[in-house]
Amino acid sequence: MLESPWLIAALWIGLALLASMISIRVGISVALIEIIVGVVAGNAIPWVGSLFSTQAKLETTPWINFLASFGAILLTFLAGAEIEPDVLRKHWKPSLAIGFVSFLAPFLGVMAAAYYLLHWSAQASMIAGVALSTTSVAVVYAVMLETGLNKRDIGKLILASCFVTDLGTVLALGVMFANYNWWLALFLGVSAVIMPFAPRLTQRFLRRYEGQVSEPEIKLLLLMLFVLGGLAAAANSEAVLPAYILGLVVAGVLRHHKETVYHIRVAVFALLTPFYFLKAGALISANAIAQGALVILLLLLVKVAAKFVGVYPTAKLFKMDNRVSMYTTLLMSTGLTFGTISAMFGLNHFDAQGHSLINSDQYSALVVVVIASAVVPTLIAQKWFQPQHELLEENGNGA
Amino acid sequence: MVHKKILHGLDGSKGSFNALEEAIELAKRYGAELHTVSVEEVPHYPGTVGEVIEAKHAANGKFGQAMQQAKDMAKQAGIDLHCHVFTGHEVKTIVEFVKEKGFDLLVIGFMGHSALYDRLMGSTCQGLARLAPCAVLVVK
Repeated sequence: MLESPWLIAALWIGLALLASMISIRVGISVALIEIIVGVVAGNAIPWVGSLFSTQAKLETTPWINFLASFGAILLTFLAGAEIEPDVLRKHWKPSLAIGFVSFLAPFLGVMAAAYYLLHWSAQASMIAGVALSTTSVAVVYAVMLETGLNKRDIGKLILASCFVTDLGTVLALGVMFANYNWWLALFLGVSAVIMPFAPRLTQRFLRRYEGQVSEPEIKLLLLMLFVLGGLAAAANSEAVLPAYILGLVVAGVLRHHKETVYHIRVAVFALLTPFYFLKAGALISANAIAQGALVILLLLLVKVAAKFVGVYPTAKLFKMDNRVSMYTTLLMSTGLTFGTISAMFGLNHFDAQGHSLINSDQYSALVVVVIASAVVPTLIAQKWFQPQHELLEENGNGA
Repeated sequence: MVHKKILHGLDGSKGSFNALEEAIELAKRYGAELHTVSVEEVPHYPGTVGEVIEAKHAANGKFGQAMQQAKDMAKQAGIDLHCHVFTGHEVKTIVEFVKEKGFDLLVIGFMGHSALYDRLMGSTCQGLARLAPCAVLVVK
């Protein structure tokens, strides 16, 4: 067992370094590889320890938990800040409709399947519903870039719909398990004061301080995130809720300050998200995956089927043809970051009796389904339902 | 066989510049049109949009430099070079581009990976040689 925080940090950063190298080599995102490295390390270290009759494990300490949670909050903030407000405004009707059913149908479907078929507790079923209602904006965005659809109306509409789905997820996570007490009232009150002023205040800081090495504008954003996150946590809500909404609120300002966003990303990817994704993987039990293979398959099928029930007819309603409707439905069936955040929330939060909302086996099943949903629907969509398009050049002097 | 429209795969590596020298020679010999294609690969299954944007930025910078160097080489040889950049899967995008523009020769550099890597991930050279609908020259 490692005791020195430096050695524990060295082990975690060593794993993060390994994940980065693998990610660059194989062209798969560092987030996904960090989860996989976390799974391997989390399960292999105890196994190797048992061979030498010692109790070894990938240590999680309070400070690692803090860095991981901080990473999740900033990931959510960046996810909100990456939206293009003009696109959402332009396509608000179909994106609201498609995004809302894309959240609601799997939320209800998975919750019902977990409760009635798997006999999970009501709270565990709700966590399952939230975790599998998500859509991965990032996975969809990468597919759009590859196909050039990000420059077309259909691509922009799908992306805007994904943001609406994720908003549904963070709202559900923030509202369903909150204590309805004075802390919640205070959180809502402070949010009501900060949110409307956040864009103007951020803009003023950016104008005055952008480029300073001490980065006052980033510290201002962190201050708002910590105050709102702290109040949300005190109300037993989730800090990612205000983080996502604050991101949405300042998105219009930040899109003109790419250097600042770049600096935030560098800090997040180098220092914080490795702890979050490695931890998300390390908490997965290989035994639970092996024993729960059928549960994983069932939940994946229910998630994708529910997305079909909700998204496909809605897409048709907005005059998309069969192929585009199928493509939209499959892409909106993807999930990754918000799914793992929801599952982690379930594992780290406790009910009135002091039990965590989901147990380790349920967490393992949910995260594996989330990862599978990032890969399987994307492959099917790209292989069989990609809308016809011409190659779009990025730049160069093509003739 | 006379080639009239040659496409060269430019990824900024030493191997791809070796192949470019060969492609320039062939273009001069046959009086052919010479194009380069570069494909930015974004990470698959990303966790955040930012991850994709940063990967794309990095690729843009790398290919910008490579294209300038390629144009200088072609200019010295008196050849007019047309450069194209796309985002997507390398093999799939290049094959589609060859079909779309009707190139009759694809010139690519050999990129040596380990046997294990090639077995697991598949090699770009092999993929292009197998799928491109035209003659393919792999320069070592």
